[in-house]
Amino acid sequence: MESAATRSHFEKLESKVDEGVGNVIEWLALVRRFKLRRSEKVTTHGCALLRDSSLRRKLGSEVWTVYEQVAIAAMDCQCLDVSKMCIEVLIAKFPNSARVGRLEGMLYEAKGQWQQAETKYQTLLELQPSDAFAYKRKVAIAKAQGNLGAAIEALKQYLDTFMADQEAWRELAEIYIALQKYSQAAFCYEELILMETANATWHLMYAEVQYTLGGLENLRIARKYYASAIKLSAGKNLRSLYGLCMCSAVLSQTKGRAKDEEGTELQSLASSVIMKKYKEKCPNKARLVTSFLEKQKL
Amino acid sequence: MAVDLVVGLLGIAALGHAAFSTVQYRNILKVTEEAFLWPPFYVIIEICISLVLCFWAALRVPGQFLPVLPDLEEDRLAQLTENVDFMTFNHRGRIFPLKIDEGLNLND
Repeated sequence: MESAATRSHFEKLESKVDEGVGNVIEWLALVRRFKLRRSEKVTTHGCALLRDSSLRRKLGSEVWTVYEQVAIAAMDCQCLDVSKMCIEVLIAKFPNSARVGRLEGMLYEAKGQWQQAETKYQTLLELQPSDAFAYKRKVAIAKAQGNLGAAIEALKQYLDTFMADQEAWRELAEIYIALQKYSQAAFCYEELILMETANATWHLMYAEVQYTLGGLENLRIARKYYASAIKLSAGKNLRSLYGLCMCSAVLSQTKGRAKDEEGTELQSLASSVIMKKYKEKCPNKARLVTSFLEKQKL
Repeated sequence: MAVDLVVGLLGIAALGHAAFSTVQYRNILKVTEEAFLWPPFYVIIEICISLVLCFWAALRVPGQFLPVLPDLEEDRLAQLTENVDFMTFNHRGRIFPLKIDEGLNLND
């Protein structure tokens, strides 16, 4: 989760790093902080950083975190030699560490040796039953094998203990959507809205799930949540503006003659905002959008 | 920043002075054997001034206020994090491993 201001700072830094002039250490720290998945760049820049012993000394104690980061990124790029080397360095420094144990498990996963990975996480959990990360990796193993049912069961078991974990709720919602179990996904998004009311994305996702479910009552709920997503994003989220238009259009169709004034007003307001945006940012597509929105209104 | 800190210290000093004056005033009252009803008027004024000064310092010294409203431009969420805790490695990028030059030594 990050705001627009920090985001633009990060993007500037990243383009500098790509040119080879930026501060790689700061960039790696930001990637960790924002939990981004820039695996290729992290592997190449991280390897270059770790190869240089003077730069390693400059990192101080942060060097071990960078080793961990590069190890995971290298697994994501299938550079198993690099990640194995990083893990060996970490094992030499921290023998018997659970955090390094995870990395070993993840290396098994990257090789596709699910059984070994599973046993590794199981031993980690026996040593430390409150190891949330090992639970999460077990979910990931089930997901990677395409066994979404088992992933759901594992996630449910995890969420029984760690109920405040937003990422897990989000993951569960996404898996339910992949299985087209929309009402269960809606429940997960309700939890997320309760946990983080000010985040417009959860309102938007909830509205979309309700819209997909269909039916008069669910469409009304969807319209409400689209509206709150627009409010929380100050009308800058085009996806929710479009959603509101579509939702109102369907509602006015299903109701037939008994039109509600509120719905049509909302729709015309939302479409006027969309039009304004297109005229500002992309004038050559404005005509296309106008005709689409006019069709929705009928 | 430094000015604001000085303002705050002045406020605290004024508060201390007000307390000291009140104690002295009560000692005088004990000598003249009158009942203590209110602290003298200038002490109340001094306390009010010190309140304002301390308020000023408390609002200014710790730094700028951060935005809290979700719909402000600089505070708006631009993107969700990728769920890296649940990341899986058997994606299509697996077929095209990244080329890193051989013989690299990460811990010489």
